[in-house]
Amino acid sequence: MAVLQRIGILAHNTLRAAARQRLFHLIILLAFALVLGARWFREFNFGAPELKFLADCGLGAMGFFGAALAITATGQLFFHELETRTAQTILAKPVRRSEFILGKLLGVGGLLLGFCVALALLLIAVLWSRESELMQQLPEAFENGRQVNYAGVLLAGALQWLKLIVLASLTLLVASFAQSQLFSVLAGFAILAIGHLQHLAHDAYRRSASAAVRLLGGAVVSAFPRFDIFGVADGLDAGLPAGSDIARVVAYGLGYAGIACALAIFSFGRREI
Amino acid sequence: MVIAIGLVMGLAGFALDGVGEPVGAAIRRREPELRLEPAMNTGPGILLALLGGFRGPVADALWLRLYSSWERQDIAGTRALVRLVTSVDPRPAYFWINGARMLAYDVAAWRMAGGSASLREDARRQIRHEQAGEALAYLDAARPIHDDSAAVWMERANIALNQLRDFEAAAHHYRRAWEAPGGPYHAARLHARALRLAGRPREALAWLVQLHPGLPCDDDAAAAAAVLDRIRELESELGVPAAEAYRPQEQ
Repeated sequence: MAVLQRIGILAHNTLRAAARQRLFHLIILLAFALVLGARWFREFNFGAPELKFLADCGLGAMGFFGAALAITATGQLFFHELETRTAQTILAKPVRRSEFILGKLLGVGGLLLGFCVALALLLIAVLWSRESELMQQLPEAFENGRQVNYAGVLLAGALQWLKLIVLASLTLLVASFAQSQLFSVLAGFAILAIGHLQHLAHDAYRRSASAAVRLLGGAVVSAFPRFDIFGVADGLDAGLPAGSDIARVVAYGLGYAGIACALAIFSFGRREI
Repeated sequence: MVIAIGLVMGLAGFALDGVGEPVGAAIRRREPELRLEPAMNTGPGILLALLGGFRGPVADALWLRLYSSWERQDIAGTRALVRLVTSVDPRPAYFWINGARMLAYDVAAWRMAGGSASLREDARRQIRHEQAGEALAYLDAARPIHDDSAAVWMERANIALNQLRDFEAAAHHYRRAWEAPGGPYHAARLHARALRLAGRPREALAWLVQLHPGLPCDDDAAAAAAVLDRIRELESELGVPAAEAYRPQEQ
């Protein structure tokens, strides 16, 4: 019980420290501005129906700015404790290093949860308002009622949050042995890029004729998560994905986050601070 | 220690890959594989799309760039951007249909204009066939997500009819367009026309005869009267005896 309490206090402090960072305010503000402003960008939309375009902008903002927030928040909040020597003070008390890592991750997770929930609710409000206008202007197009699957938007937001948790865990893993914040943040962005290009690498190594290349490629590729699967609910008109698919994505995300977190604890435990 | 961490991540990821792979495969079936032209300067916008968000807005921006290449009649740029747009966001049928039109008609016209002024008819036909083939192959890549799109099947049929003069293929594609959800009435009429052009007037007549009773009289798009006229034309062409002629039911 005391362990959970200590982790909770560390997470709360991490969240409070994050709330004071101006960089995070800027990232959150940009994401909100983009979702709200998407209505005025629709003149540049050619291919997709308008509501789909708005949803793309909203989920894109959540994914992109959320990733920036996950990486910078994890790197900055972790190293801030080390540089200001607060970590030494905390760890001198009966606080284990594993609790420190878990507290940091939960704090960043809370920050990301707030970001995703707020942005998802804003996106739903924007979509609802525009859909209501369109229903008045084009009643024949909405004979069967509303077209936007709002539960799908919420689910897409939840899976984005899970993706950001995985990204934050991996950034924390790098930070646990890295010597500088800059390195951790750059590595975080590299992991983000690799994760989004994973499906190309998967296809490339699987097409290889050589079994050795397939095995080696598979091992290297598997060290990084693939982020494309977290977009399984992004299709606004595709309906909700199957429950088994959602369960797989959740298990996959929690699996990677858990392993990265365990390794971060192991690595931080051996670090001299 | 970093190597040990990498090894553990690799092994754990190997196990987790089996959990995520079916979902990844389902997404790939829904959206064709992203193919980037390595030699092409795609700009920083593509990075946004690659990093998981803004696929729609980035594809829209690329579509604007495509218009610019199209206006300059830049064949290589148009070809590359047509593919890039649908690689970034394959969901809107609009991109596929208009991209196919550019490849089938515009690029063919530019190639002909760029050749010698006295380009022989067989050379022109060759270019039309090549471009139609390229456009149809391009539309084939849309099938995983647009197989039930009437508009995409219509475009396929139009290219087969106008550029390839392949009436059999056109008849097949118009029929697929008619059978697709929300298939337009004119797809059914064009199916009959393509059958007629393919030298199968009896099948065209049979098709129109089974089509006509289901056409609503109060819908101009259904053009029930025009369909009846075509039935009469075909009956006359085939010398169908009056006793065997189609008799529409009173509605």
